[in-house]
Amino acid sequence: MRDCKGSQEDIPVSTRKAENRIPLIRIVIAVHLALICPVLRAQTTATMPPKMEKASVTTSIPDLSGLWGPMSITPGPITPQAVRSMPEGEVALTWDPSDPMGMRPEQAPMTPWARERFNSARPPFGIHETFENVNDPVQKYCDPPGVTRIYDYPWQFTFIQTPDNVYILYEFTRTWRTVAMNREHPKDPDSTWLGDSIGRYEGDTLVVDTVGFNDKTWLDHVGHPHSDGLHVIERFRRVNPNVLELALTVDDPKAYTKSMTGKKHFMLSTSPMGETICSASEMESFEKEIMDPTTKPRSK
Amino acid sequence: MNRKLLVSVSLVVCLVFAAGPAVAHHGTAGYDMDKAITVSGVVTGFDWSNPHCVIHLDVKTDSGEVQHWLLELASPIHMNRIGWTKNSMKPGDRIVADTYPAKNGAPVGTTGVQYNVLKVVINGTPLPTR
Repeated sequence: MRDCKGSQEDIPVSTRKAENRIPLIRIVIAVHLALICPVLRAQTTATMPPKMEKASVTTSIPDLSGLWGPMSITPGPITPQAVRSMPEGEVALTWDPSDPMGMRPEQAPMTPWARERFNSARPPFGIHETFENVNDPVQKYCDPPGVTRIYDYPWQFTFIQTPDNVYILYEFTRTWRTVAMNREHPKDPDSTWLGDSIGRYEGDTLVVDTVGFNDKTWLDHVGHPHSDGLHVIERFRRVNPNVLELALTVDDPKAYTKSMTGKKHFMLSTSPMGETICSASEMESFEKEIMDPTTKPRSK
Repeated sequence: MNRKLLVSVSLVVCLVFAAGPAVAHHGTAGYDMDKAITVSGVVTGFDWSNPHCVIHLDVKTDSGEVQHWLLELASPIHMNRIGWTKNSMKPGDRIVADTYPAKNGAPVGTTGVQYNVLKVVINGTPLPTR
């Protein structure tokens, strides 16, 4: 059982360097970097603008280490009633805390532009869930799930915290992100699947600010769209040794008339990260074998 | 009702839940989540692969016909985390399994998602559920 009591927020980096657990953290970081290093270093070196002044960099680093997975829930069907009895953010298909199962997705403050897109979505979950002609970009094309939706999947993720970058590694589809800790966003970022992420520490919280998305992903499992003007702020905080809180703010004036916020909690996991690759060939085989027979009329 | 005629070994409505969406790569729109049935027969294959594990089994119907069923499970990672392995069953094993059947009567069902793995008994020994 991990023990991280005594938050590090008040402990200067120089002091913590003398503690026993810091070398361990560094070993973990080194091992992780050794595994992924060539690609990561090439990318971060190539894209890193000049460093910001040190005054903008916090002097304490909260410990977010560990593997974070979905909260343990009571076994059984995930009914709307069951979800209502769960702690906030345990299981949700949307980022609307008043509609975690996507039973009233129309209530999101969508602009006409977003509503038109939403109406054309054929999602696998929520009140409009379907098996037929699903156009979910993840299910249909193995597209990356996007920065907000990836937390709706019941798989694990972990952080690798280094002075210049925080890397977030997700078990689902083996996606990873780089969060630059010492620069601003580019003035005109490219539109990408995961956007341009910059970060900072605010006390015990890692704040990740991301812009520069394309508009190809969904915000959630029920088909809420977003534009390339999406701005996401993730606030990660270890509320106790075994629980991580993610508070998320979504701002996208082209798609939504007001900002939306949501919160999820994740539990420290003892299971090693596994392989969950979205393989087009495996998806196609599964569609033919399992999903197609359930959507075709049966001959008598 | 056709299924009752076809599946002779066992067809028992064993659960009544108003189940909502499952959390996997797809939902449960194709399945009748209001009831689970029990099917039994002989394992003919076990796919331990993404996006979801699949049990293949042959079920003998009332008329003596052998009907091939497919039972969807959660991903290998999620099944492994409750104690299943790729060796949990093999062709030739006797199987009794609960499943939510396809709405259209196809011999396909969902027997497990991450939060709800139904009863599966192999050669008389129950596998882990949750």
